[in-house]
Amino acid sequence: MPDPAAVPPALPPADRLQRAFAAEIAAAVAKYPAGRQASAVLDLLYLAQAAYGRITTEAIEEVAAVLEMDPTQVRGVVGFYSLFKEEPHGRFVIHYCTDLPCALRGADAFLPRVCRAFGVPGPGETSPDGLFSVEEAMCLAACDRAPMMQVNLSYFHDLTDERLDGIVAALKAKAAAGEAVGPPFGFGSVRGVAEGVPSVEAPS
Amino acid sequence: MATNGSAPKLVNVMIDGRPAAVGAGTNVVDAAHAAGVEIPIFCHHPKLVPVGMCRMCLVEVGTPGVDPATKAPILDDEGAPVIKYFPKLMAGCTTVVSEGMHVRTGTPAVAEAREAVLEFLLTSHPLDCPVCDKGGECPLQNLTMRYGPGRSRFVWGEKFHYPKPVPVGPLIALDRERCVLCARCIRFEDEIADDQVLGFENRGRGMEIVSFSDPPLDSVFSGNTTDVCPVGALTTADFRFESRVWELESRPAVCPHCAVGCNIGYDTRHGRVLRVMPREHDAVNEIWLCDKGRFGHGFTTAEGRLTHPLVRDISGALVATTWDDALTRVAEALKRTVAEGGPAAVGGVAGATLTNEDAYAFGRFLRAVVGTNNVDHRPKVIADDSVHRFGAGADTIVHALGAGHAIVVVGLDAEAEAPVLFLSLNKARRQGAALITLSTAPQKLDRHASHLRAVPGSEATLLAALVRAALEAEYEPVDGASVPSGALPNAAVPNAAVPSAAARVLADRLADHGPAAVHGVHPVDPDAVAQAGKALASAGGVLWIYGRSAVDAGLVPLMAAYAAATGQHGRAGTGLVAVGRHANAQGVADMGLTPDRLPGHARVDDAAARERLADVWPSLPSSEPGLDAGAMLAGGVQALYVLGTDPVGDDPALDLRANGVRTLIVQDLYLTPTAAQADIVLPAQSAAERDGTFTSLLRRVQRTYAAVDPVGHARADWKVLRDLAARYGDAESFAAPSDVFDEIARAVPAYAGLSYAALGPAIRTAPTDIFLPFAPLTEARSVSYIGTRYENRHGIGAAWLTPAEATYAAGDTAAHEAVAADGGEDAFAGYAVAADDALHAAAGDDLVLIPTAILFDAGRLVASSTVLHPLVPRPFVAFSPFDALQRGLVEGGRVRVTGAGGTFEAEVVVQDGVTPGTALAPESLGIAVRAAVGGERAGRVRVEVVAAGPIERGASPTPAPRPSSSPSTTATVTPGQI
Repeated sequence: MPDPAAVPPALPPADRLQRAFAAEIAAAVAKYPAGRQASAVLDLLYLAQAAYGRITTEAIEEVAAVLEMDPTQVRGVVGFYSLFKEEPHGRFVIHYCTDLPCALRGADAFLPRVCRAFGVPGPGETSPDGLFSVEEAMCLAACDRAPMMQVNLSYFHDLTDERLDGIVAALKAKAAAGEAVGPPFGFGSVRGVAEGVPSVEAPS
Repeated sequence: MATNGSAPKLVNVMIDGRPAAVGAGTNVVDAAHAAGVEIPIFCHHPKLVPVGMCRMCLVEVGTPGVDPATKAPILDDEGAPVIKYFPKLMAGCTTVVSEGMHVRTGTPAVAEAREAVLEFLLTSHPLDCPVCDKGGECPLQNLTMRYGPGRSRFVWGEKFHYPKPVPVGPLIALDRERCVLCARCIRFEDEIADDQVLGFENRGRGMEIVSFSDPPLDSVFSGNTTDVCPVGALTTADFRFESRVWELESRPAVCPHCAVGCNIGYDTRHGRVLRVMPREHDAVNEIWLCDKGRFGHGFTTAEGRLTHPLVRDISGALVATTWDDALTRVAEALKRTVAEGGPAAVGGVAGATLTNEDAYAFGRFLRAVVGTNNVDHRPKVIADDSVHRFGAGADTIVHALGAGHAIVVVGLDAEAEAPVLFLSLNKARRQGAALITLSTAPQKLDRHASHLRAVPGSEATLLAALVRAALEAEYEPVDGASVPSGALPNAAVPNAAVPSAAARVLADRLADHGPAAVHGVHPVDPDAVAQAGKALASAGGVLWIYGRSAVDAGLVPLMAAYAAATGQHGRAGTGLVAVGRHANAQGVADMGLTPDRLPGHARVDDAAARERLADVWPSLPSSEPGLDAGAMLAGGVQALYVLGTDPVGDDPALDLRANGVRTLIVQDLYLTPTAAQADIVLPAQSAAERDGTFTSLLRRVQRTYAAVDPVGHARADWKVLRDLAARYGDAESFAAPSDVFDEIARAVPAYAGLSYAALGPAIRTAPTDIFLPFAPLTEARSVSYIGTRYENRHGIGAAWLTPAEATYAAGDTAAHEAVAADGGEDAFAGYAVAADDALHAAAGDDLVLIPTAILFDAGRLVASSTVLHPLVPRPFVAFSPFDALQRGLVEGGRVRVTGAGGTFEAEVVVQDGVTPGTALAPESLGIAVRAAVGGERAGRVRVEVVAAGPIERGASPTPAPRPSSSPSTTATVTPGQI
């Protein structure tokens, strides 16, 4: 009879996440007590989004297999958070806030300009070059500096036509330089692919 | 509850001016319920952990004011405490009571909050009550009528629309427009069933219930989600659009599918069963049912059923005849056989699905009228008197056990063989009971249990190691003296466990079988065995629950020996529980359907029992044991009477004619393969058509009532046997099943004092009034409160006492002391631990194949249900990942398995937890698994790959073919011929 301890577990159906981020997975799981590995689900979903490009069914199944959860539980987490993308999207995802306080500062009127600047037909769509997706957001907690947007994980405040053009040019340059090859919402090495593009942190 | 020792601390609260004393930790909704005040709820459910999601239970809550400076209570002029109300409304379900708390549910603020919550819940509700299956028993409907605003400020055009019902699982449909997102279904599956297969997706108004398990809603308890659903969002596949619920007539019954004895209601309309609903029984199934019990009611219809007695015509074909003719032929054939070969030439084999009355009548006919002891039942889990002597206390409620109790589940896949028992075990585990599983195959219960995995063929040495470890821990020397360490929760209980001298004898007997001996034999850490042993020793009560695999492995005597030697039996939460795979496995053994035991488990030569039966029976059989089922089927008798069992169906190679059976009489629901070989076939009544009693695995005798008219001319078995006996001149003329039961009460000592009247509603106020928490409620209220299910108005039955238990229940101190001091040494006098089998050391490429049980098998009872039948898997063999890797077996591939007794082909499944070197194959899927291993509980097999990969990639599994609806074998049945 073979040694039971030497028996490998059943292989998961997909392993793209584990091949790409074995060390990151181990580090994320190690943050929690033994038997509580399911607590690392958010970390692993970010990694899976990086590995798969978006949250696919295979990504969910792999995360579930790694964390010994049912895929249903993982899917519930994905559905709750807006930064997990299940649909194909551009390399840069722009969340532009049109909620009431921002609208009072003119954000809703500015939306068509944002779409035009990124070359996107309208909110919820992706530019033909596959670089930009613009989405309306409910609240990004920066009403005082509206109009504002979040590009991947970076904030850009007090938007004007000039600033917008500068940001678009900088992002395009990054993409052309092949720097921002990762997916939009990274973790670890791929965190904040819009970094380097000047975001206005101090009030202008 | 009686089994849980000390009562919880009581807290005094005042709800709408009504005082109530409730246990500490109770929430305000449940406390109000106890006080007779309704607080409306959607998300709260008394069986689930409160989450406070729906806000329907908002109430005003106040506590006695305290002076911040002096910490003294603030009193008013009359000296009564001043109640300080919280400034905002509180959710009753998540607010725990405190001493002196006041709750107001009738204020304008509360009424306004309820109106607002209902108005919001209904913003997108389609208001399609006229076509909704839940209409008439819907908490949303009822609470809206009672507390709703009457009109909505939202207009139809703003409602969200979804496609109408989508299947969320194979048996359950989801209508998202009706869902109020209370999460009761999610929490049921997570907390109660331990299946994390339902969840929420998205948020806000886009939130919906989803399942992404494979297959979806992968749970054998999925039907319960429709009961706990407070709206019409979840409906069952078999009842959708079948009937308005107020047109149903519910008939109380006991589920006929397994030995748990769940209380059910057959909901009928125009004499047809349309759905099966749970009936509340706090000692058995609480309010739950498994999907087999709920959806497996196809046998109640006439499809494929036998309608007339059949006899062979001159050409050898089976043709319909009258009962009179058929019974006369049976009697003549049996008399002829006796005249030629004596009574021993006649024998009878029965199934374990019969009611007590039918089983008793069968044994009585064969023993007292024909005069033979050739009586047996199959499959058999109770072959000796272990349960009779050392059975669990009659007041044992498994799901009421908790900290301080240990439960050992041996050779039983609880979820597959007794699903609702699995729920009870899971609950006991959550409440702190130590759960230990000992088996050769993995099961769901292992997740949260100390699981001791045995290699097949050597189970006895692992059990011996566990028992030895427990006894070692019990006798651990303290301060040099050897004292028992097993503390009891309630020392006042008579028969308190005092480890007897017998325990030492037993410990010595097992000296060579300590935990260390399992090293290198079983795939289990010796320390884990020692730990499990300590858990047994430190528990106040040890309950042994075992299944057929444990019986086949010969483990019962050792479990009985431990129970006897430590005095761990006959009290709540202690002793042995045998789990048969059929509804009345316990009852048929009680009725004496074994070749060496008379009714009441007495040996056939027991003088006292024979004296007792001489007063009841017309004559007595010999005092020599008869043949068992195997010997009879092998041709040990010339005339064989088979009642409610299908040996040929289980072993298609069995040819009773070739074995030498000359006359074969078969009484069954369907023209089974066995019946197809018969000379005379008698149509039997299904469980839904007959009155009677079943005895559950915890020995609870429960009444079941006829729900529908018999199909065709089917007759009750006891009536058939009575009429046969009359052809022998037997003067006994039972007029009703209650007459048979009255005779059972005289013939079986443990049933003495029981009667249909005693089992019925009159027993409701029994000493352990287990319905007290819900007793004062009306049905309408409790539907809102606890979900859709039926109150139990037809009695909770009675569990019979073991003789040891009876002595102290009767206050017979001397007899009790004798029993306690006995220790049952005689029970294991000749016992020796079976040596390790060499099976697991199988050389070369062989694996050890273990036949397992599966809930949705290819048997008639599942096949007759149109919704369950697609869930029957294709025949498969499960391998460990290790063996799969080594042999290149891929999930979905095909293998040929060849053992000593036969060969079969099946699909490959790779399953974590399977012990390397073994393979699992479910029985009753149409492949001869048991035969392949030579009828043993495990055997060496050779595995050859037939197809390396999945044959049809991505194709959905096709179920086994459904047995044809009409008897098609050799029978030609023409009703007109009568």
